[in-house]
Amino acid sequence: MERRGNILQMDSSRCIGCFACETACKMEHGFPAEIHPIRGMMIGPLEQNGEFVLSFVPTTCSHCENPACVAVCPSGAMQKRDDGIVFSDLELCIGCQTCAVACPFGVPQLNPQTGKIAKCDGCKDRCADGLWPVCALRCPTGALIYGTPSRVVQDIRHKGALRVAGRVLSFEQGKK
Amino acid sequence: MVDYYPLKRVAGTHKVHDAEVRTVCRECTAGCGLLAYLKEGKIVDIQGDETDPISRGRLCARGIAFHQGLTSPDRLNRVLQRNNLNDSFQPIDDWEKALDLVAEQLRKIRARYGPRSLMIGCDPEAGLDFFIGAMRFARLWGTPHVFHPLYAPRGISSQHYDISASAPRCSDWVHSGYILLVEADLATTHPVTFGWLMDAKDRGAEIISLDSRFNATMSKADVAMTIRPESGNKFALALMKVMLEENLYDTGAAGFSSSSLEAWRDSFASLPYSGLEETTGLSNEKVKEIARRLATKKPVTLITGKRLSNRQNSGIWRTIALAAGWNKMKGGGWYPLDGGLPPFNPFSDIDAMDSRRPVSEDDERFSEAIDELAEVPQDPELPVKALICSGNCLYDFMSPLRSIAKSSELTIHFGAFPNETGDLSHVVIPATLWPEIECLNFSNDRAIQWGERIVEPVQGLRSGLDLWTGVAQRLADARRLEWKAFFPWKKEDGSTDHRSFFGWLLDQSPYTSGYGLERIIAASTDAHVLWPIDPIAAAGTPGEIEPFFAPSSLEHLPPEAEAELFPLTFHATRTISRSGDADNFRPWTKALEDPDAVQIHPGAAKVLGIENGDEVVVHGPNEVIEAKAWITRMVPKWMIWSARRLGTRHAVIYKKGESGEEASRILREFLR
Repeated sequence: MERRGNILQMDSSRCIGCFACETACKMEHGFPAEIHPIRGMMIGPLEQNGEFVLSFVPTTCSHCENPACVAVCPSGAMQKRDDGIVFSDLELCIGCQTCAVACPFGVPQLNPQTGKIAKCDGCKDRCADGLWPVCALRCPTGALIYGTPSRVVQDIRHKGALRVAGRVLSFEQGKK
Repeated sequence: MVDYYPLKRVAGTHKVHDAEVRTVCRECTAGCGLLAYLKEGKIVDIQGDETDPISRGRLCARGIAFHQGLTSPDRLNRVLQRNNLNDSFQPIDDWEKALDLVAEQLRKIRARYGPRSLMIGCDPEAGLDFFIGAMRFARLWGTPHVFHPLYAPRGISSQHYDISASAPRCSDWVHSGYILLVEADLATTHPVTFGWLMDAKDRGAEIISLDSRFNATMSKADVAMTIRPESGNKFALALMKVMLEENLYDTGAAGFSSSSLEAWRDSFASLPYSGLEETTGLSNEKVKEIARRLATKKPVTLITGKRLSNRQNSGIWRTIALAAGWNKMKGGGWYPLDGGLPPFNPFSDIDAMDSRRPVSEDDERFSEAIDELAEVPQDPELPVKALICSGNCLYDFMSPLRSIAKSSELTIHFGAFPNETGDLSHVVIPATLWPEIECLNFSNDRAIQWGERIVEPVQGLRSGLDLWTGVAQRLADARRLEWKAFFPWKKEDGSTDHRSFFGWLLDQSPYTSGYGLERIIAASTDAHVLWPIDPIAAAGTPGEIEPFFAPSSLEHLPPEAEAELFPLTFHATRTISRSGDADNFRPWTKALEDPDAVQIHPGAAKVLGIENGDEVVVHGPNEVIEAKAWITRMVPKWMIWSARRLGTRHAVIYKKGESGEEASRILREFLR
């Protein structure tokens, strides 16, 4: 049986580090400039076999199965919902940043404007209205895709097949 | 093929709003569809327009953050004036009085130094209306000096804008065999358009990217090669030579005029390869490799960066696309970035009315290339005494004029934000930003889009067209012609009617005339009107196309004397979060990248003892900037890169507090 809730798939092969996801998130949540709830990290260029490799890796909250941030939160603000979203209830958050220390991925940040924790909340308010999270909607290259796990996996498989088909067609055309 | 249905995107806003404006983003030339949601006149949310065929609901960082600039506390909102650059500015709250003052000063300068003492710099941020208004004002006034980084001042250049080789839509790239990008960092300058390139790659298109820095676009390419900055047009000449030499295409079918076909082929046959590698950094073997690869798969889309437009030899790209026949195939042709403006004549109405006045020598001297700017400060016959600058152009494409700005008797800055150009000005005039005016937009895809206004401008802010109309009105006696003939779009309340202006503009191009602005406005966003609106009429007679001839050599210009003292090539480009000066006033994008970072190759940094984050000095022949070192292989060892301009192509870099001369010596040794 499929788990309730949707997933956000990140395809680093399509990410160009353009910050559209990050800026969209800041607009949606009214975060100040110094908060980075999602970010395409630039790695490289590294030299490999005489060629350069420059990668961009989108990073955000993994909404872990057993989140350390939730386990350590002293006020019960950090919670995990049934649909998998890990979020901080700002009414309860005391800004102690224990979650930020506990998170192995460095995701929670203190919002200096509010004195509370800021992190990806899976756009839960938008999802409640049936809308996609803003990061996935804005992504210029389609590096972020959103949907049920089975639908997202199906999408990846179809795109992979298309890629192969495209290369084959392209090869055939080249022979003509 | 696989039956593929993309995931259904569910877009919209959940923010409480009382109005929605459907418009087009004018942050760059991609032309993304945008939905702005407002409450009590203020923007509460921005979403992409899912029905837009260019952007498909996607937006980049700039297309979201622009609204922070609208409400920035730093925004200019009053006219400021001072008599000399050492004084403090005094505000003038009455727009009409401010224009009286500007007109009076201009009149005096004209009487003393003549009309050619005025120069106008048009930053794209100021809008198309500012540029066209500037051209018409300059004609009225009698100066040939109007500069725009993208367009030749007359707006007409048959070589550059001829539509017969164009690749109109980025959505067609999925049909391309190869996509060749030359000095076009599409992923950085037009991220939403780059999404189409990724789709094309998925469908089997191979990507070749040539640029001077290993950037985001190159990181996604199948083949990436480094070339010297601004040498792309010379690479194209060599590419054409190989295509002809190896008979890779049937150039006889290109539709070139038969009378010039042989002479054209001969011009490339006699073009020597010598100098190619020194100029471009690519050997002729590399160029041959690219040409042979391109010949294996049809069609090819050529994407060129804006730095190659409006420059010597830029016409070669069109000829390549025609010669190979790529223009006749879906997914082939030439796609010059920022080249979506149709050729138009901004003076046809004036020419028709102005039969009394012979065309002056000044009119004929309209410069075709921005490169000429560098010669202006050295020209003793050309005393520049008045400058009208939009955006931060004295620290951008007009930077060669910065030295003479200090002795200018009147420098006017028309802009939305305080900047270095304003610091060199006597009068600062606050400008509207694009979301505050309605405007016709010409996208890279050659779509003609109507950009609706999102918010009302704050009291006191005016458009570029308002400025030119107001000044022209006050200088009516400068020419025998009535100012109204030049600026017939003034409304009774003193502002200008942008709709009638853009309606007029559409009629000034053979590719868009007769259609009418109302039909453009009424066109649904999911079916853009593309120019040429009548392709049959615009195509002309076959067999009349003049190909671009090869010059006599590819030789590099003789090494400049300054290269000895300043051994590194300095290169400045825009970054993904910054397209212009306005980005400094949007906290969301300002915080994304450090504008003070200067990229230096690890090898060069090592010999100079520079570590990541060190405070460094970048020294050019006339200017110095202080910066923070960013050690990266993005730059080749002979280059340093910055998002800030230096007004030169040569520089030396050294740690703050150390000697520049010693660094030059070490670097010369390192580069040998």
